[in-house]
Amino acid sequence: MSASRDRIARNPARDQVAIVGIGRSPYSRDRDGCSPGSLVLEACIDAVGDAGLAKEDIDGLIGSTVSAQWVQAALGIPAVSYFANPPIIIGNQLVAAVGAVHSGVCDTVLMYHHGYRLPWASRRAAQDPMRRRSTVGVADPRSWWGTGHNDPGSNSLFGSSAYAAWAGRYLHDYGYGRESLGHIALNSRTNAASNPGAVYREPLTMDAYLDGRMVRDPLTVYDMDIPVDGADAFIVTTAERARDLPHPSVLVHAATLGHTDYGSEEQLRDLDHSGQVVVAERLWARSEVELADVDVFYPYEGFSNIALAWFESVGYCGRGEGGEFVADHWIEAEQRIVIEGRIPVNTHGGSLSEGGTQGAGHLREACMQLRGAAGSRQVDDARVALVTPGGFYFNSQGLILRTDI
Amino acid sequence: MSDDPAEPVADRSAELLSAFPGVRVDPDNAAYYSGLLERRLLLNQCTGCETWHHPPRPICPACWSTDVSAQDIQGSGTVALVTILRQGPRQPGVDYEGGHVLVAVELDEQSGLRVPGTVVGVPAEEVAVGDRVQLVWTDIGDGVAPRPDFELAQ
Ligand SMILES: [Zn+2]
Repeated sequence: MSASRDRIARNPARDQVAIVGIGRSPYSRDRDGCSPGSLVLEACIDAVGDAGLAKEDIDGLIGSTVSAQWVQAALGIPAVSYFANPPIIIGNQLVAAVGAVHSGVCDTVLMYHHGYRLPWASRRAAQDPMRRRSTVGVADPRSWWGTGHNDPGSNSLFGSSAYAAWAGRYLHDYGYGRESLGHIALNSRTNAASNPGAVYREPLTMDAYLDGRMVRDPLTVYDMDIPVDGADAFIVTTAERARDLPHPSVLVHAATLGHTDYGSEEQLRDLDHSGQVVVAERLWARSEVELADVDVFYPYEGFSNIALAWFESVGYCGRGEGGEFVADHWIEAEQRIVIEGRIPVNTHGGSLSEGGTQGAGHLREACMQLRGAAGSRQVDDARVALVTPGGFYFNSQGLILRTDI
Repeated sequence: MSDDPAEPVADRSAELLSAFPGVRVDPDNAAYYSGLLERRLLLNQCTGCETWHHPPRPICPACWSTDVSAQDIQGSGTVALVTILRQGPRQPGVDYEGGHVLVAVELDEQSGLRVPGTVVGVPAEEVAVGDRVQLVWTDIGDGVAPRPDFELAQ
């Protein structure tokens, strides 16, 4: 992390690329008869229409486990000059889109991500016999994340087990109780109540949170993202072209991925050496706005402890102070976090209550806020959004989005 | 680290592949898995700069030497990470009912060098960050390789 400031601050794409279309396949916990592909297509068609475009206007496609090539054929998009299937999560797709559009490899990208309840995610999903076939031919998550894990054995520490272990280490090192994690979960649930598209909208109390069923200590069912069926899609094009399209442009001001040289979760030295630290350093170096300019904040909380670390990594507080910061900015009457009484956090309900789609929901909501189209949860005059998808390794990402004025 | 060079590990590809059916055994990690069959925990160490690394890679990440070899470790270390699995896929030798404790042990060989494992002999809830532990081997059952576990140090 010792690269020269000049090198890491280079950002020729700043404000040159815009998100102009947003589409959804609504999140659901009880939908039958859908496939990952059908969800993606529903969201894609919605996004193309939202952007006021036709399929012939799309010349770039960025997907993932539902491949760009599959989607191109299914939508009958005649020709694309860029296509890619980066690993999840959503920042990978957006960074690829910005690069492809700004470089001129293509002009207008359709990118998307879906969630699909796998048979082991819930009893209901397990009853759907076709879901048991849904991963045939799909590499397992160890491969999606590029972690290179060889061993799925009982003593392996990866995925949710590793995040739980790091959550425990955080509470241990900084002397917090589980209430610190609980604030993240309650914040998401409270905000989800204002989001008709969220799957869990009934209130959650701290007592109920603390009584939550333990899954991987110290993480409970309330600390882990909610499996859903659903999809989000985005249209990304040049800022110039965006000005001719129907919706207010959402400009990508700065975008980055971040990773350090720890190739498996248990080898990460500590949170000061995680991908989040790289993200924060690069993001602020490339940005002309500062943390104080941020109006809405979307720290990923697929596991609740990830969000606490993001508060620290982006600079709201020092390492280990996230739990305290969240408690200090907790509005008891509202049961949610509002930073400095002004900046709400995960206004849509996040992965823990809207539904877990690996940051796609966070990105969509940030765009809706910047459009001024977030309905009853609209934040007045929201002009700068900070979105930090991903965790500590393999997928730490940062995006600064802003309005076009 | 041991002063004596490790005993060479015999080439047992066929045996290895059948002993670890779900594992992507490859030339880079074969020595590690072969070691398990002999109840030896072998981690890669650079012959040149002596840096250890894990999981096994074909080169030394510190100096890029390809001269790395799997060496016995002392087996003593400190618990760096702990969680308890309360549910999960059925696996031999794993009891979710009582809680399967999962740890990353930071080995005495090198700061930051960690191996994942479980701690046997105590209730899951009694294992904590900072505990000193020692390698032990658990026999899981027929056809399953011995598992490198840990117990609390005396
Ligand atoms: Zn070396």
